[in-house]
Amino acid sequence: MTFSDDMLLAYLKGSLGQEESRSIEAAVEADPVLERRLMELDPVAPIVRQVFQNVPAADPKPDLPTLTPASSAGPLRLLAVAAATAVLAVSLTFWLTRPQPLGWAEQAALYQSLYTADSISTLDDAPAAIGAQIALAEDRLGRSLNLEALEALPGLELKAARVLSFRGKPLVQIVYADTQGNPFALCVIRQGEGAPNRGLRQEVLSGLATARWARDGYGYMLLGDRPDSDLTAQLDYLAATFSG
Amino acid sequence: MPIGDGISSEQAVRQAIGTHVKRVWRFALALSGAPDVADDLTQATCLRALERHHQVTHTDRLDSWLMTICRSIWLNEVRSRTVRRAQALSVTPDAELVAPGPDVELNIFAREVFTQVILLPEAQRETVMLVFVEGYSYREAAALLEVPIGTIMSRLSNARKKLQAAMPQDADEAFQRRET
Repeated sequence: MTFSDDMLLAYLKGSLGQEESRSIEAAVEADPVLERRLMELDPVAPIVRQVFQNVPAADPKPDLPTLTPASSAGPLRLLAVAAATAVLAVSLTFWLTRPQPLGWAEQAALYQSLYTADSISTLDDAPAAIGAQIALAEDRLGRSLNLEALEALPGLELKAARVLSFRGKPLVQIVYADTQGNPFALCVIRQGEGAPNRGLRQEVLSGLATARWARDGYGYMLLGDRPDSDLTAQLDYLAATFSG
Repeated sequence: MPIGDGISSEQAVRQAIGTHVKRVWRFALALSGAPDVADDLTQATCLRALERHHQVTHTDRLDSWLMTICRSIWLNEVRSRTVRRAQALSVTPDAELVAPGPDVELNIFAREVFTQVILLPEAQRETVMLVFVEGYSYREAAALLEVPIGTIMSRLSNARKKLQAAMPQDADEAFQRRET
């Protein structure tokens, strides 16, 4: 039996009777060409594919150990798999029992999300005052922040620097205004020696586009003003001039 | 062990992970419905695949192989051990995962579709992800999920009904505009 495109489309739209639907399904089982035709006519599939195309936004970076020839099935490897599975079970339980306490990045994003263009339009700190704020921030963080580099972030004007604290760790919030006067920020937290380095991770937190990474005991996060703020130019700049 | 293309099976697996890790993550999301679990399930899948590189004798279809490992870890080691998914469904899916484009209405719509997909029952969700998103044929999905092809088709029919209800008439056109 042959099926017209109209009939296949009616099947895909769910407007065909049960008997006719069954006959199409039975025919597809034996006919890969019909299967391909049906797949090509599907009105829903391309939309769903588009929606998920950029999910997740960045490629996941699995942590892959180097296998040595002798130990490829050795006890350490098995331990690693067992550990990964255990972590997985724990994390599922954890997820199911939300809410979780907020991490520094979530907390800082939540705080930053309360800023509006108005909050920073009145921040008119003199350069000397900003210099003093940065000096205090450097003192608390125990590292240089390179004021000149901070002032030269592309497309952003440095407005203020605040020393905050997250669970006893110094957290510095450097506030910027973009060309439209909207609030952006760069946050730096001292996580302590031995804190793991982390590669760039971009996600929307509290409705703000964020990008964060960690290196040499410090965590960094750049925050935009909207979920879709483009942080590329600033990130490129920071990567080139502000290596932690 | 050297296999085709002059590379070892371990290299082949590492390459396959590099190429397909995004699809594995999406499938892990479809299975668990939760981004955090998807992260960890992806990690466990990659480790397990690397462990088993000696099973690989050719570079064809390593994507299906990774998907199968992912699903087996989910079914045998994670889902069975912990609370059933159903309880997690009271939590709103994290539609923020959908990257926003310039068209606000389209973003709202894309997030709605994302949410509807995540709210599908697990069997429909994994099938939708494999066929609609990853482009596996019905029979490939049937082999991967170990069900008859008719089951794949009826799962997709049921999913289509629910998803179409969430889609405006001109959805297809709107997305084509976005692509161009």
